[in-house]
Amino acid sequence: MTSLPSPLVVDNLSFRYRDRQGAAIDNISFEVKPGEILLIAGASGCGKTTLVRCINGLIPRSYKGDVSGKILVFGEEVKDWKLSQISQKIGTVLQDPERQILGTKVVNEVAFGLENLGMPREEIYQRVDEALNFLKITHLRNRETFNLSGGEKQKVALAGVLAMRPSILLLDEPLASLDPASAQDTLDAVRTLADQGLSVLMVEHRVEDVLRIHPERVMFMSEGQVRYLGDVAGLSKVVNYREVKLPAQDIIDRAKHDPAPLVLSPLPGAGKGPDGEALVKFKDVAFGYEAEREVLHGINLEINRGDVIAVLGPNGAGKTTFVKHAIGLLKPKSGSVLVNGRDTREASVAEIASMLGYVFQSPSHMLFAPTVREELAFGPTNMKHPKDQIEQEVKEALKIVNLSEKENDPPLALSFGQQKRVSIAAILAMQSKILVMDEPTAGQDYQNYMNFMDSILKMPVFEAIIFITHDVDLAVIYANRVLMVNDGQLVADGKPQDVLRDFDRLRANRLIPTSLLDLNLKRFSTTGRFMRAEALAHI
Amino acid sequence: MLVAWRYRKRENSFIQSFDPRAWIIFYGCFLFATLSFWDVRFLLPFLVIAMFVLLTSGVKWHEIRRAFLFIVGFVFFFAILTFLTGRGGTELYEQEHLIREFKASFSILGWTPTLKVTVERAFFSVSQLVRVTSIAVMTILIPYSLNPALYGITFKGIGLPDKFAYAMDLTMRFIPTFGRDFQLTMDAQRARGYELDKISGGIIQQVRKLGPIFVPVTIHAIIGSEDIIDAMDLRAFGVGPRTWLDVLTYQTRDRVLIAFGVAILIASIVVGLMGMGAFWVPEALINMF
Repeated sequence: MTSLPSPLVVDNLSFRYRDRQGAAIDNISFEVKPGEILLIAGASGCGKTTLVRCINGLIPRSYKGDVSGKILVFGEEVKDWKLSQISQKIGTVLQDPERQILGTKVVNEVAFGLENLGMPREEIYQRVDEALNFLKITHLRNRETFNLSGGEKQKVALAGVLAMRPSILLLDEPLASLDPASAQDTLDAVRTLADQGLSVLMVEHRVEDVLRIHPERVMFMSEGQVRYLGDVAGLSKVVNYREVKLPAQDIIDRAKHDPAPLVLSPLPGAGKGPDGEALVKFKDVAFGYEAEREVLHGINLEINRGDVIAVLGPNGAGKTTFVKHAIGLLKPKSGSVLVNGRDTREASVAEIASMLGYVFQSPSHMLFAPTVREELAFGPTNMKHPKDQIEQEVKEALKIVNLSEKENDPPLALSFGQQKRVSIAAILAMQSKILVMDEPTAGQDYQNYMNFMDSILKMPVFEAIIFITHDVDLAVIYANRVLMVNDGQLVADGKPQDVLRDFDRLRANRLIPTSLLDLNLKRFSTTGRFMRAEALAHI
Repeated sequence: MLVAWRYRKRENSFIQSFDPRAWIIFYGCFLFATLSFWDVRFLLPFLVIAMFVLLTSGVKWHEIRRAFLFIVGFVFFFAILTFLTGRGGTELYEQEHLIREFKASFSILGWTPTLKVTVERAFFSVSQLVRVTSIAVMTILIPYSLNPALYGITFKGIGLPDKFAYAMDLTMRFIPTFGRDFQLTMDAQRARGYELDKISGGIIQQVRKLGPIFVPVTIHAIIGSEDIIDAMDLRAFGVGPRTWLDVLTYQTRDRVLIAFGVAILIASIVVGLMGMGAFWVPEALINMF
């Protein structure tokens, strides 16, 4: 009796992009079995996405370069297959569902691949309903795709791939833009698929989240090569806990033997201004993009010197709309927003920008300059900072985001993670008193974002920092105040230990308690404050 | 991600009561028929049709106000410019009958700015206004009234091959997506102290200073297009004849609308071949001056 060939075998695979020097991936070999989840982890630029593109056939068909080695799908080499053949065996869900969704309505989006294969209409409807049903999103069937929340979009993208009934599923950072509960839903669906026999390759930075669904094996990549391939238990022994986000207890066990980390002091810039005067004040703010639908209702709050605020809440809760009011990009329909005592209706955005720096979610909407250095100098130049001061500001900002060696590179040629760091540095260089960041860690690897968050909090210029995030641990480690926004309302505002203690409230706001939060709450009577796992290891 | 125009299903909307293919065919006939006339007497019925469609479309004024005012303002601006300069209609008339002449009290290098108000210029502006307004009103209604989910099958249904029909679908949705990206880029740069209205210097310098807006918008559009191509490739687009999930069925009223549109177009062509419909000025008005 002969056994069936493995769904996927990658044999000595190497690839170099046509316009770049050095291999993006080098001699990668592995095999995936039916019903197995293989988690692929590694820092930004380690070659994970290139590997995915090689397997789904976009390399070398859409991205040109030198390929060597073999990819076998059920024992057949796919080199000469058409992309349409590959796509029927291997389904791909991209990092950002926004980049994948083509249909205007959910039903059309899920049916897209089947329509392209020329299937009979009845079978298409049957498969669409099957996929929607499996992911428990039948209620979205006739909704318009652009009105869906991030989590819903991700599920619809997944449904579109599942409807084609692939044997192998590639997921390229599927959790990057999801709130924790949506991420958990997606992961649960993936586990069920694997249990039904699908082979799953999942590239993901959020290792701890994926470990909850017990992937069979983990591959850790670094500089285009496989550094570890084996069971989950072995991962924490071979990788540096600063490179990959491991469960808090694992970090504590490993960090015990290392020196204790520096404790972050309160914002150094907070003591500069007069006490008692709010930096930003929201008074009964209500707002709607359309006259008939209000998306923010009755927001009242003050942002004071020394505040490091984490804004948490589900996808589509109104978090970005809320912070856009602080810089005057949106003006309230009723109520008012005061920045440094001045109504945002009476000041231009450019004027407010000298007081409040705002880092947008997507770097591609702002990068334009021929070099990273010029990109960073743009803001301070608009603010009319002196030339020698600009030079200093640019250097310091580059150092914080660990991009000093890239200062003469074109920002648009950098990886997504690096572009995101350039966009943060571009605002840091403006030296505004208040820093607002919209999902600063999305698409970033753990080590990089922890480093730049540490550096930003040490900067002497900031009197207050606000960041929107889906990462509860980021709030645990860095925030001294947590705002929870849901359905356009401020549902909680307080110290992290008070707001995050209520697990029912967390779940109601599509947040999931993490192992770090859990450990911090257990040890709070001893520590008196929240801290990172490395610090807990020394208590 | 491609966004769609602000379509929604409207009760009692005349335009939405038709099959989108019928409407697109009627619109095409209307467009070419209108463009075949310069005679305001022949153009006025087209304006009446356009206004009827607008008023029965079910589109609320607050939805359409910005786009409508922008386009109609644009049309008025050019009609007035044509009237003031006398350019634009000179190929349609040979003689001009002066109503009044306004001369500036100063000269620039021997040239005295003069505004000649003639019967022909005045009528040309009116004709232009009626002609372009009719087309603009009909065009502006399309994104508000055609279901974006049916763009592809509509173009397929009027005879385009699969690939072209889907390309038209994507193109129709690219325009509002471009608008959204432009706004996001403007916001991101304003947050860095960039002020578009304070751009100064010579023309080349001013164009260069628009770089912070146009570079990201262009790059975003290119990257977005590549993403769309990848997403389509990954789901077997273009491998053969595709099934279109939605099905459109002509009703009697759709056939009537198409017949009406084709009749208008044929009548316009016949009228043109008979030498009518060209630029017209009332005889009585000419005799007065």
